[in-house]
Amino acid sequence: MSRRDDIEDGLARLVAASWVERLLLSLAALAASIVVGGVIVVVSGMAATCEEPAFAFFGPTSCYDPVGVYVQLFQGAIGNVLADPFNFQIALTLKETTLLVFTGLSVAVAFRAGLFNIGSQGQLVAGALATALAVLFAAPLVPAGLGTIVLVPLGVIAGAIVGGLYGAIPGALKAYADANEVITTIMLNFVAAQVAFFLVSSYFPAPGSQSVETRTVPGAAVLESTLFGSGSNFSVFVFVFGLALVAGLYYLIERTAFGYDLRTSGLQPEAAEYGGVDADRTIVTSMALSGAFAGIGGAVWVLMVTGRFTASVPSLGFDGITVSILAGNNPLGVVPAALLFGVLKSGSLALQLSAESPPKQLVGVLRGLIILFVAMPEFFRLLGKRFVTTGRDPVATDGGKPVEDRRSSPDEQIESGGSTEFERTEGEQ
Amino acid sequence: MSTTELRNTVAEYGPRRLLAYGAGVLLAIAVVYGAIFPNTAAGDLLRVALSESTLGAALRLAVPIVCAALGGIFAEKSGVINIGLEGLLIISAFTGVYVADAIGSLAFLPGIWVGFFAGVLASTLLSLLFAVVCLEYQADQIIAGLAVWLIALGLAPFISQVAYGSVNTDSVGTLGTWTIPVLSELPFVGSVLFDASPVVYIMLFAVAGSWYVLNRTSFGRHVRASGENPKALDTAGVNVTRTRYVAVTLSGVLSGIGGVGLSLGQVGLFIGNGQTMVNGRGFIAIVAYLFGNYNPVGAFGAGVLFAGLDALQLRLQQIPAYAVPSSLVQTIPYITVIIVLALVGRTRIPSAAGDHYESGED
Repeated sequence: MSRRDDIEDGLARLVAASWVERLLLSLAALAASIVVGGVIVVVSGMAATCEEPAFAFFGPTSCYDPVGVYVQLFQGAIGNVLADPFNFQIALTLKETTLLVFTGLSVAVAFRAGLFNIGSQGQLVAGALATALAVLFAAPLVPAGLGTIVLVPLGVIAGAIVGGLYGAIPGALKAYADANEVITTIMLNFVAAQVAFFLVSSYFPAPGSQSVETRTVPGAAVLESTLFGSGSNFSVFVFVFGLALVAGLYYLIERTAFGYDLRTSGLQPEAAEYGGVDADRTIVTSMALSGAFAGIGGAVWVLMVTGRFTASVPSLGFDGITVSILAGNNPLGVVPAALLFGVLKSGSLALQLSAESPPKQLVGVLRGLIILFVAMPEFFRLLGKRFVTTGRDPVATDGGKPVEDRRSSPDEQIESGGSTEFERTEGEQ
Repeated sequence: MSTTELRNTVAEYGPRRLLAYGAGVLLAIAVVYGAIFPNTAAGDLLRVALSESTLGAALRLAVPIVCAALGGIFAEKSGVINIGLEGLLIISAFTGVYVADAIGSLAFLPGIWVGFFAGVLASTLLSLLFAVVCLEYQADQIIAGLAVWLIALGLAPFISQVAYGSVNTDSVGTLGTWTIPVLSELPFVGSVLFDASPVVYIMLFAVAGSWYVLNRTSFGRHVRASGENPKALDTAGVNVTRTRYVAVTLSGVLSGIGGVGLSLGQVGLFIGNGQTMVNGRGFIAIVAYLFGNYNPVGAFGAGVLFAGLDALQLRLQQIPAYAVPSSLVQTIPYITVIIVLALVGRTRIPSAAGDHYESGED
């Protein structure tokens, strides 16, 4: 028992100590990506051709003004919010945010269990297809008045189950066959995309459609917005549902026995097994849960946004990786991180509309940069040390070795979650 | 060798051999059947599979997969898991076209070859950035690899949009084919092997070179030791970090060849829609070297096999009776690797892969 208490104590300290650092790290990474993104904007503006340069520095001129671009992104995302708080741009931002909450949670729950789920995209595709097919199949059987009450939960549950099962595959392969889940989840992304393409084009094509998509689900199953008007493809109800899932997952991870198992498996797999955690079962359950969140994301994408399954699925799963990493894999952090990407995505449309702006693909570059900077906490730690030398950091006056606290800090252990995994397998050999 | 080690070795090679033999026997049965009854489906399939155009296409399509896989082998053998290969392919494929178009010819070099080297350089620089992030700042290799992929996936269409007003670039033509005078006259192999794109020759050379470097040179020994037992290598007085730097940079050079091999070698332009023209080949490259058990020749075999399936499928589309859905054929490499991973597990991954190593001396 005391062993278990030790682990619990250690965990509590880890969690408390890490979240402030995590927040700082995410903010630093965000700031650094904005700066580097700005440089890329200026440099690309030098290559672009325009009538009048927007920005000049000591001779060379650039067509794009880096500050202006970010202002434009932000304004594009919120629209004229004072005149109309329920405008189209806000709806668009919230729509993207809502979708990313689900995939962000999907990646986060796996990460907390020490698993890299790169496969949210595939799980989302599987879930989305299941949702569309289940609703299309059930629609004629449901009495007229009950459409929404029956079809929407049915669709969401179908998405969650199929997404969960698809996520459980790499989980089971890892738990019982020791197959690296990074590789298998990436592979299953491609398999899901190709199989969905095949199924839809061969067996469930929409009559008369040029693209690969299913028939549109009946209106009763579509989640419409009352606040933002139809056509905005955003439903406040779904947004609240997403927030409820955030709270639920937070509670599950932080307050339940299963969450405890999940966290210990993620942080210290060996200690977890010693403390009586069934590692194999935790892996499969975590991946299934992760897949279920992605599957619900797919259901929402079908029922709220497109109204059908189309083979051109946006990269919500991959964005979910960025969202989760930026959120420090904390469910509560997923909301602001998803909002940030919601702003970037809908703001990028404003860039597209304006001729003097860099192309909207800028957002893709920022996404990569954010991940890159989050990946290197040591960089910011060194940077911090350089700027705060006169502060609390003790520095040797004789020019000798600086006195450094050599204890490995708890968050380092979290950050190296991926590597501990590989270590663990060796231990099992 | 202890009994557990022995058992692990059996577990390591047993299922793989079994799978390989099983596949071989099935293939042999199909070939014999096809050869005896040429008018059956198996006969048709055999004829198409062994046609010069299919084999030539297989080699050509294999270039990006095999080159990136060779790069992945060097990185992972040295202890750095590089899942950013896809990004390296994207950045080199784009840069090659962009530079060939923007700068054109230099004194001795035709523009397209200038682009070729620029593409390789771009991929090398990006892999160097990855190396710095992983080795200097101890980033998690998986997350940093994802970053490399996502940066390239964002940057290439972005620059293309700035320069061309579209995520697809203009066409700049391809590197063409090099016909080797006498050898290309040989029946059958001549047209497949000696009348091919220069990148095919480079790939074949890279496979042989990689095998030689990894297995027959002291640098290769250092790379392998760096991935298996960095401490021992350090104790022997070899700088582990420097070895890993060189290995990761090499993965950039080789993937760069693969990327330009795709854009300038085959297509002549860069396509930036969706997942870009690279479209998962970097991930198939990971599959190829896992399938080939980290052996350059094995990775080559796996790469050609996957590319061959693709080529065969493209040919079969032209025969209405055998039009297999291409989306299903394209899942074969992925499903294969999942099965292989499930049977063999991950025991083959170099034991120090994914770990940071800090030299004991402070």
